Amino acid sequence: MAKAKPANWQKSGMSTNLKLTIGVVVVAVAMVAAVILTTRGSGQAGPEALVRPESHRLSTAADGKVTVVEFLDFECEACGAAYPGVEKLRKEYNGKITYVVRLFPLPGHRNGEPAARAAQAAANQGKFEAMYTKLFDNQKTWGEQRVDQSPVFQKYAAEIGLDMSRFQADFASQAVIDRVAAEVKDGMALDLTGTPTFFVNGKKHDGDYTYESLKKAVDAELAK
Amino acid sequence: MSKRLGWLLAAGGGLGTASAAALTIEKFHVLANPGYVPSCSINPIVSCGSVMTSAQAEVFGFPNPVIGLAAFPVVLTLGVLLIAKVPLPRWVMLGLNAGAALGVLFVHWLIFQSLYRIGALCPYCMVVWVVTITMFWYLTLHNFRLPVLRKYHSAVLTVWFLVIIGLIGEAFWDYWRTLLL
Repeated sequence: MAKAKPANWQKSGMSTNLKLTIGVVVVAVAMVAAVILTTRGSGQAGPEALVRPESHRLSTAADGKVTVVEFLDFECEACGAAYPGVEKLRKEYNGKITYVVRLFPLPGHRNGEPAARAAQAAANQGKFEAMYTKLFDNQKTWGEQRVDQSPVFQKYAAEIGLDMSRFQADFASQAVIDRVAAEVKDGMALDLTGTPTFFVNGKKHDGDYTYESLKKAVDAELAK
Repeated sequence: MSKRLGWLLAAGGGLGTASAAALTIEKFHVLANPGYVPSCSINPIVSCGSVMTSAQAEVFGFPNPVIGLAAFPVVLTLGVLLIAKVPLPRWVMLGLNAGAALGVLFVHWLIFQSLYRIGALCPYCMVVWVVTITMFWYLTLHNFRLPVLRKYHSAVLTVWFLVIIGLIGEAFWDYWRTLLL
């Protein structure tokens, strides 16, 4: 034991030690703050970031008067909660509004990005809507898990009648990975703070994600 | 000085015991009911459910927290003896130091697994990381003559923890970013 050497080392260097300790913490905090500030979205995105020509349209309005854009993550619970209301709205306003779905998988969700790729791979065969429905209807089966759910997505692909060899190739392809990344990039450029985020005729929808709230916003635009 | 170390060991041993007990109890619940969501599963990242059910959680064929349940109470006891000014032989202190060294190695392996293999954090486990590293550090400073390190004891320990915090921040950066934006 250090009894033989009655060093009061905890006291001797205290002030330098304490200064150094505090200094190290301050530097670390400053570095984190700098990183956060420099990586923040620019918020300078133009309207083209909202809807691209190749964006997924679930329905198209004949008159093109009202466009609803939803940025969603198939694994996000709030998106799953909004989904029934969205479906009700889509049915009611079929042909009267253009409904665009943008992919915005959040990195915190282990299977959000693969789900987005599954939807994109289905879109390549003209079955985006079927996969979109399948993923949300079964969100509780595959969501909120830290293990890979690709086999589940393959099962869904088979169930909606996709060409499986093509689906598998697309699901893993760089083109589809890049496409999903490009969608996310648009969302980041629009400074999204989470999912789902709705835009009604380019205006961010501030209300709830409920059927009633969205209907109100849509009706207001239709009445213009 | 021994008394101060005693308080540190008693507190660390106590916290370690409590965390190991919490993890063991949660493990029982998970085993009894596979659908059970542990109290510390808060979101996809902070989720002891993911960590507890991983293969790494049973390195030696039984749940890791059992090691803590056996070891931390000993640390707590020795800490109390130091507070009571019971003279402990040097070999006992060195033995404790050796045990803490093994604990620190194990903890760093677990940190690596948690960040880069499992991809989730478990709050109770993180309490164990903190107390194991802290106790190892001050035991080592106590038992060996390390004048420079003693002089900057808390600065070195702070850098040690900041490195780990930095690695956590980097590993889960994409996730934190979505919370911050």
